[in-house]
Amino acid sequence: MKAIDVTGVRFTYDDGTEALSGIDFHVMEGEFVAVLGSNGSGKTTLIGLLVGLLKAKTGRISIGEREIGSLSAEELYQRVGLVFQNPTDQLFAATVEEDVAFGPRNLNLPEEEIQARVSEALAAVAALPLRSRAIHHLSFGEQKRVSLAGVMAMRPSVLILDEPTAGLDPAGEAQMMQLLKKLNREEGMTVILATHSVDMLPLFANRIYVLDHGRVLQEGPSEEIFCHQEMIDRAKLRLPYVTRLMYEMKRHDGVPIDGLPLTIGEARAQLLELIPKGLIINGLEEQKP
Amino acid sequence: MFDLFSDIFTYRDNALTRIDPRVKLVIALAGLIAVVTAERVVLPLFVFGICLATVAALRIPAKLVAARLAAPLSIVAVLVVIQTFVTGTTPIFAITIGGWQFTAKAEGLRQGALLGSRVLGAVSAVFLLSVVTPAHRIFQALRWFRISRNWLEIAILMYRYIFVLMDRVSDLAAAQRLRLGYTARGRALRSFTALAGATIIHSLEQSQRTHDAMRLRGYRGTMPFGPMPALGRRDRLILILCLIGIASARLLEWGVTG
Repeated sequence: MKAIDVTGVRFTYDDGTEALSGIDFHVMEGEFVAVLGSNGSGKTTLIGLLVGLLKAKTGRISIGEREIGSLSAEELYQRVGLVFQNPTDQLFAATVEEDVAFGPRNLNLPEEEIQARVSEALAAVAALPLRSRAIHHLSFGEQKRVSLAGVMAMRPSVLILDEPTAGLDPAGEAQMMQLLKKLNREEGMTVILATHSVDMLPLFANRIYVLDHGRVLQEGPSEEIFCHQEMIDRAKLRLPYVTRLMYEMKRHDGVPIDGLPLTIGEARAQLLELIPKGLIINGLEEQKP
Repeated sequence: MFDLFSDIFTYRDNALTRIDPRVKLVIALAGLIAVVTAERVVLPLFVFGICLATVAALRIPAKLVAARLAAPLSIVAVLVVIQTFVTGTTPIFAITIGGWQFTAKAEGLRQGALLGSRVLGAVSAVFLLSVVTPAHRIFQALRWFRISRNWLEIAILMYRYIFVLMDRVSDLAAAQRLRLGYTARGRALRSFTALAGATIIHSLEQSQRTHDAMRLRGYRGTMPFGPMPALGRRDRLILILCLIGIASARLLEWGVTG
């Protein structure tokens, strides 16, 4: 069943800038979908439309089986949650606990239910020890996780994240992506990720939409998307670094590589096949003292 | 600058931070009333001394105390000087500045000292409250006392975004400094006005984004507040004892003055 269905949506800002030009976009329940695009490609506008912050002039947007306009704010925000790029925009209460409880309190839930949701959401993002901390005492990575918890406490079935790894160090980036993978694979949450960071996507995303100038340039699984170097260039994006390396080796050095590996694991497997067996020492890591 | 707003000490665990914020608010308010209505300098200075001693016992850095008390102390100085030279009839001494003679008077000095001591007593009581109670607990307690939701909502957002805007202003100022924005008086003035303008624009943009984020989590114009637990026996006892102490001190002073 479709979690989100966008058909023929156009959106033009008041200053005349056409941000989306008749876009079609759909996400199935339980999918992990990435929206890739350079700055100004229409990602943020699409997100704004999906959460009702912007209203489409033409076209149709459905959340589940219902059109977005027919949903009340309470209904909409319990179906779709948005995690902003900058946690500062989203964390407005004085403490972690109060911020995460903000949404459930607005739903007029009983206090026990609110506390249960706060604990559950904080546990899901590994932030339970931060519960009574002041927001302005948190590190950037902690703020990112707490802002995710604040949205999760609304228990939306679709989670939309705008550049969730922006500003994080490599360890924080990996932790955030693992967290999203867990929410998707174990909790069955539908995840939509707007990003222009491509390296980790092949590991997590079921499908990728590439946007450029308000249009969908291409849509499909990672293997399909990243084998179109020209399309990637046109969208002002890049291949994952490991894919780029293999692409250059294939193109300039004639290394016989099948397709293009998207992850380090795939690239390693392909290279191992090409290297003479006598040069490979199996179990080298295990032999170290 | 950050020291002025620093609240890290309120998150320490000690006897005062463990007291219910409602109790601390009521005690602080009673202390303020006693100090402001005092008719002699003894009670306000006693409150000032007690508060400073407590702050020292809590190991609050002297730098923070100085930063927080700098403004009120300068107000006290101005008050004492103005009152001494403007009010009263009994001369103590006279000074001449630029051909003008100024005469200090005993009544004015007494009045200035009383006003100054009230300011010091009141400010130190509020300062002590602020280093043993996190701001959000004070807001919660104020809500429990039925203070207007709208006022508190604005106060909460102001408190939260002071830190965000301070960070931005500090980054912008550093960027200006690194490009020699403050190397001459005229240039510094231009840089400062540009900084002020940029801060206002940042604030407006931030408010729009924050409002969007609040809407997405069900905000409809009123910020929800969590419940507060019933006052414990220990807190009630502390409240009663402190109120008796403050009332006795005030009555004693009244008796002495009367």
